[in-house]
Amino acid sequence: MFDAYIKDYNEAVFEIDKDAALEVVETAIQQGVTPEQVIFNIIIPSIEEMMAEIVENADTNLAQHFLTAQIASEITEKMLAKFTVPPEVIGRVIIGTAYGDLHSLGKRIVIGCLKSMMIDVIDLGVNIKAEDFVDAAVAQDAQVIAISSMMVHTATGEDGSLRVRSILKERDLENQIKLVVGGAPYRFDPELYSKVGADSWAADGVTASKKIKQLILEVKA
Amino acid sequence: MTPLEILSATISGQPSPRVPVFCNLLDQGARTLNMSPEQYFSKGEYVAEGQLKMLQHYGHDNVWSASYVGKEAQLLGCKKILFAKNGVPNVADFVIKSWDDISTFEIPADITQHYHWQSTAECLKILHQEVGDTHPLCAYVTAATTLPVLLMGMDKWMELVIAGPIDLRDELVRKCSDFVQQQLTAYRAAGANVIIYANPFGSTYFVPRKLIVDWSMPWMQRDLINGVDNIVYYCGMGPLNTVTELVIDKLKVNIFYPAPEDDLTESKRLINGKGLTSGVIDDIKMIHWTKQETRDEVKRIMELGKPGGHFLFGTGFMPLDIPEENIIAMLDAAFEYGSYS
Repeated sequence: MFDAYIKDYNEAVFEIDKDAALEVVETAIQQGVTPEQVIFNIIIPSIEEMMAEIVENADTNLAQHFLTAQIASEITEKMLAKFTVPPEVIGRVIIGTAYGDLHSLGKRIVIGCLKSMMIDVIDLGVNIKAEDFVDAAVAQDAQVIAISSMMVHTATGEDGSLRVRSILKERDLENQIKLVVGGAPYRFDPELYSKVGADSWAADGVTASKKIKQLILEVKA
Repeated sequence: MTPLEILSATISGQPSPRVPVFCNLLDQGARTLNMSPEQYFSKGEYVAEGQLKMLQHYGHDNVWSASYVGKEAQLLGCKKILFAKNGVPNVADFVIKSWDDISTFEIPADITQHYHWQSTAECLKILHQEVGDTHPLCAYVTAATTLPVLLMGMDKWMELVIAGPIDLRDELVRKCSDFVQQQLTAYRAAGANVIIYANPFGSTYFVPRKLIVDWSMPWMQRDLINGVDNIVYYCGMGPLNTVTELVIDKLKVNIFYPAPEDDLTESKRLINGKGLTSGVIDDIKMIHWTKQETRDEVKRIMELGKPGGHFLFGTGFMPLDIPEENIIAMLDAAFEYGSYS
């Protein structure tokens, strides 16, 4: 019964038509679909279809990724408030842009995808110092730190991911907190993530959320 | 032949001794003059001196008048730029903080009278005097559909483009398009002879093709209403093969600067002698490549691009982390493998 909703919802997202996507969810609610079912049977499967589409079809674009994340996040927040039993949160991520970097689009895409996959996200904002990432992760008992960089020097610089890795090592936190990175420089050099000390990276928000989920489960295992 | 003559011959399909070699060194100028970026970019004469010294040192073909992209935001009212010791200056104050600001946002009546234009004008004046007759003088102009990114941030602009009120979106783009027209006129009058017209919102990596056809393209046509001579179509390192034929057909631009991830053979096939294709090296990978890996990549690009001519070798906006030896290795290889003799 959910296939038709997923199809209509994904078509709307691929056409970057926010109103149409929200209308699909509204219709589903009116037809008796529960808030839990909206999340687990429509939103999450549609994100998974988006993942498959990204792999198979290189023509997906940033606008679609952004819209996917924003709508999914918006709907998830609305639906969560209506859950009869609070959902089990998979884990927690501290996210922000690297020190010196003020670009927040990529971060917002990842946040949207993570929220809709029942992962708790604490957004520190932009231009975040390495120490603040680690302190927040410890204070909030997060399993993953995610750092977004739009510019090369904030990806490779001493004050970004490299410094976070160094602090994690100094404080003996490497087994408890994993480090992921994302942003334009990593897309141009897919090996760059390892050179800046990260455990993983992804080229898009949907794949990023999947990889982060895996890392959370590894830490919690 | 001078580098400028080589470029002209390449564009028009005339014989030339080698492929033009563009190496886009911007932030390196501060290091060359042993200055902080803030000091270096404060005066046009410093930027010109840095460009000329780097030209002499490396021997590539082009110099740059544009100091940093945030300069356009400053011309439009941005009050703060975040300078970094090791990278690109960043817009740190958004002129448009909410959609309500769009109606009151105004562009300068004449940018050539604006305080922030003076250093650009000074730089161009010196470069024009020194190498204007022999070398391509590059300028960077952000397209009207992308310029709001510098005014409100990419995420806010993307929201407005795909889900906001259309009239508000287009009111802002119209103002930006007026600004683009002014900039193009000012740059040309000041002697710039290669204008990089940058539009990520003209790449299907950023937005769907339908949006490019229905929305970006008409605005690009308006931006470029006074002519497309020496305009280079560039999507901010976004791929452009999927729109090349559309751009040739609708915009009449004939110089293309694809992304490294564009298939160069396909780029050449699409342009098919109707214009100039650029083979652009992935200069982010150059940060960690060896000299030999750098040379091998230049050789690969040249072997794909050279047959049939109409071909330029170029870089992105070279990150400061690229080792000096790799810059030299890249240029040595470009001149060696780019020779037609």
